[in-house]
Amino acid sequence: MAVTINHDKCIYCGACVATCPYLALRLREVYVEVYPDKCVDCGLCVKACPMGCITLPKK
Amino acid sequence: MSSEILGFPGIKDEYDIIIVGAGPAGALAAREAAKKGASVLVLDRRKELGAPVRCGEGLGAKYPEKFGIKLSPGAISAHINGARVIAPNLKDDIIIRTPETKGFVLDRKVFDKDLAKDAARAGASIFSKAEVYDLIQEGGKVKGVKVNFDGGKREVRSKIVIAADGAESVIARLAGMKDGVSTLYDTDYGMEYEMANVKLEENGKDFSDLIELFFGREWAPRGYTWIFPKGKDVANVGVGIGGLEAPNAIHYLHKFLADPRMKYRLGNASIIATKGGAIPVCQPLKEFVKDGFMVTGTAAHQVDPIHGGGIGLALNAGRLAGIVAGECALENKVDAASLDRYKKIWYEEEWGKFGKRLALRKVLEKMNDDDFNSILSTINDKDIDLVLEGKFAPVVQKVLVKRPQLLKVLTVLVNL
Ligand SMILES: Cc1cc2nc3c(=O)[nH]c(=O)nc-3n(C[C@H](O)[C@H](O)[C@H](O)COP(=O)(O)OP(=O)(O)OC[C@H]3O[C@@H](n4cnc5c(N)ncnc54)[C@H](O)[C@@H]3O)c2cc1C
Repeated sequence: MAVTINHDKCIYCGACVATCPYLALRLREVYVEVYPDKCVDCGLCVKACPMGCITLPKK
Repeated sequence: MSSEILGFPGIKDEYDIIIVGAGPAGALAAREAAKKGASVLVLDRRKELGAPVRCGEGLGAKYPEKFGIKLSPGAISAHINGARVIAPNLKDDIIIRTPETKGFVLDRKVFDKDLAKDAARAGASIFSKAEVYDLIQEGGKVKGVKVNFDGGKREVRSKIVIAADGAESVIARLAGMKDGVSTLYDTDYGMEYEMANVKLEENGKDFSDLIELFFGREWAPRGYTWIFPKGKDVANVGVGIGGLEAPNAIHYLHKFLADPRMKYRLGNASIIATKGGAIPVCQPLKEFVKDGFMVTGTAAHQVDPIHGGGIGLALNAGRLAGIVAGECALENKVDAASLDRYKKIWYEEEWGKFGKRLALRKVLEKMNDDDFNSILSTINDKDIDLVLEGKFAPVVQKVLVKRPQLLKVLTVLVNL
């Protein structure tokens, strides 16, 4: 599993990338890419996102 | 495959120094290293340097001159003569007009490009739309980068790699540089609108040459809300909150914009740009270098812990990293011990102020809105000036007369 980014809302500011301890997110100029193999659903990026556009997978 | 056109001055296979990121830190590092005579490659992911902007764009007046930067007219959006600090009640305020509060609100799209142009003129080779996706590491040592350019992936080797990749600091972290101190709690998260048709005056008072900082948990828990003018009726209006403060920055920005007390000034404003980002407001990284590798600017957490300003510190840190890298590359001494001169000089130049401001941040974080309201109705502009200079004792005394319950929190500052 991995977090989901609402790309309609995302302003690709990179705050989530800066926050992720697992380097599971990368800023790709005009979007943020999630690497599901690295994401451990810890939710730190969800808390960090200034736009509130990241969600954890439903349990 | 990437296009191979005969004669196109593309990326070569090897350089003395590769710099990842062409923000203020990377550009100054490139300029200084190139001036020393080293061959320098700068790679930036952005297809247009400086854009999109992720910054409030405030910069102290002393920096450009100090670091040999000539601001082109287009790089300056507004000249600033002071700061206005507003209490949580949105009523009490203090206006400070001192050399420390003089400065500019920049246009970073122009400013960042100007810095890159200077680096190019000094001899650095710069490429935009060139994303570094990994490092070449051999036996635990960084030997170069892997870059995505013109649709092709390739490796470029160097004696030194400098990570100037800003808050995300993916490159610094790929090299194993972590601070081990900072956490989500010690990072600010910011959201900002550039707005037009803003009123930079109210009740006959003109705020157009002031940066305005609104304090209080109600508006920005463990941070502040700002209005930075960018013209007579244009401004960056933003908020930075401490990490882990719920729900998120945009919530607080919208709350501020919707407050009836801000209606006159912001009620009819339009949003012409949306910006955001993370700002580390903690200790700098424990180590700035390892063999063949350096970290500089916001990637190294060289950011003012009080106001989250990172441009000025990035300029100086990049400059120092570039000087040391240039010298070390030419002498072929790129081990950690040689490169560490950069950290030594940085501490000599910056730590005195930085350390004090780190302590002040910890104190400010403990205050509630009643504390802020009380303090801002007690002290004056001269007191704030003393605080900015790191002379806390007389101000603490004054505050404690009216608010003795802050005794424990504030004594830390007196003992610095
Ligand atoms: C909302 C907000 C408001 C702010 N307001 C202010 C303010 O008013 N005043 C102030 O002084 N500071 C402010 N800051 C902080 C300031 O923006 C930064 O501290 C400053 O830009 C740091 O400069 P830098 O050169 O270290 O990094 P950056 O300016 O972030 O530059 C890093 C560069 O590296 C590039 N890069 C990153 N990763 C890669 C990669 N893998 N490959 C290639 N290129 C890469 C990026 O594209 C970027 O161009 C604010 C920050 C935010 C988020």
